[in-house]
Amino acid sequence: MDAQPEPVSYICGDCGMENTLKPGDVIQCRECGYRILYKKRTRRIVQYEAR
Amino acid sequence: MANALRRIMLSEVPTIAIDLVEIEVNSTVLNDEFIAHRLGLIPLVSDRAMDMRFSRDCDACDGDGQCVHCSVEFQLSVRCDEDQTVDVTSADLISSDPMVVPVDVALAAARTEGFDSAENKGIIIVKLRRGQELRLRAIARKGIGKDHAKWSPAATVTYMYEPDIYINEDMMGSLTLEEKISWVESSPTKVFDIDPDTHQVKVVDAEAYTYDDEVIKKAEAMGKPGLVEITGREDSFIFTVESTGAVKASQIVINAIEVLKQKLDAVRLSEDTVEADEQFGELGAHMRGG
Repeated sequence: MDAQPEPVSYICGDCGMENTLKPGDVIQCRECGYRILYKKRTRRIVQYEAR
Repeated sequence: MANALRRIMLSEVPTIAIDLVEIEVNSTVLNDEFIAHRLGLIPLVSDRAMDMRFSRDCDACDGDGQCVHCSVEFQLSVRCDEDQTVDVTSADLISSDPMVVPVDVALAAARTEGFDSAENKGIIIVKLRRGQELRLRAIARKGIGKDHAKWSPAATVTYMYEPDIYINEDMMGSLTLEEKISWVESSPTKVFDIDPDTHQVKVVDAEAYTYDDEVIKKAEAMGKPGLVEITGREDSFIFTVESTGAVKASQIVINAIEVLKQKLDAVRLSEDTVEADEQFGELGAHMRGG
């Protein structure tokens, strides 16, 4: 695994603003200070068995 | 033997069903697994299944199950951009093989283009609200009902012994017309009828008999035991096969016999059988004789 800290973008649960967070950052929206952030769905293809 | 055939029809006649789903975008209310499962259950026209390969023993692809010999690819891409909800249905699945399409789509195509009414527009997979989108690729593979019920071509299969109905005409002749009518009506299913001219009781539909013994009990109650004798024929069966639409009911029976033949061949050709034959010499000779 590469140790490069990749910024990941999250969506604020209150104002819907997009936030980018790095490891160690405070989990808080930069716009409104709301502390619940939602991770976005992967852009990669996900595979499932239809069973 | 009859039950062997029945069980093969249910669980070993191959069909094609979606087995792998690669989801690109899913912003619908249903989660990925849920949608993948629903896709798997859609019956696909499986006339090709008998000469397709199982992906596990396909040598054209290394067990990937992604080549023309063992798989069919489907694409689905629907997005809702209007205020009304959009239904994603089996009709939105785009097949790579025109022979393998959802059963209801094939049926609609056969009925001179398009779905006949607003009621019938395919099997609903999910409903979309404005802005929601579903985009995926699905791989359909050959399989059998034993692996997963989605591959079973039959909904129900039943069989019964063909009844042999013998009416004792002498005794029947001794009954009055009213007695005959009440006896005929004692059967819960319409097996017997009375000829309007000769007033003779005759069998109209032997297959409708359910082995309920009602007419026999009635005859006894009327003081005429032995009026009718009903036995099941040991060498003749009446099968009722209900298909899911993936394979025609008549074709399920033919395919089941083919599968059964292959299984019997496997037994005959296996090493163990030769060993066993030496142990039971006489029995082996019978088997070789057919």
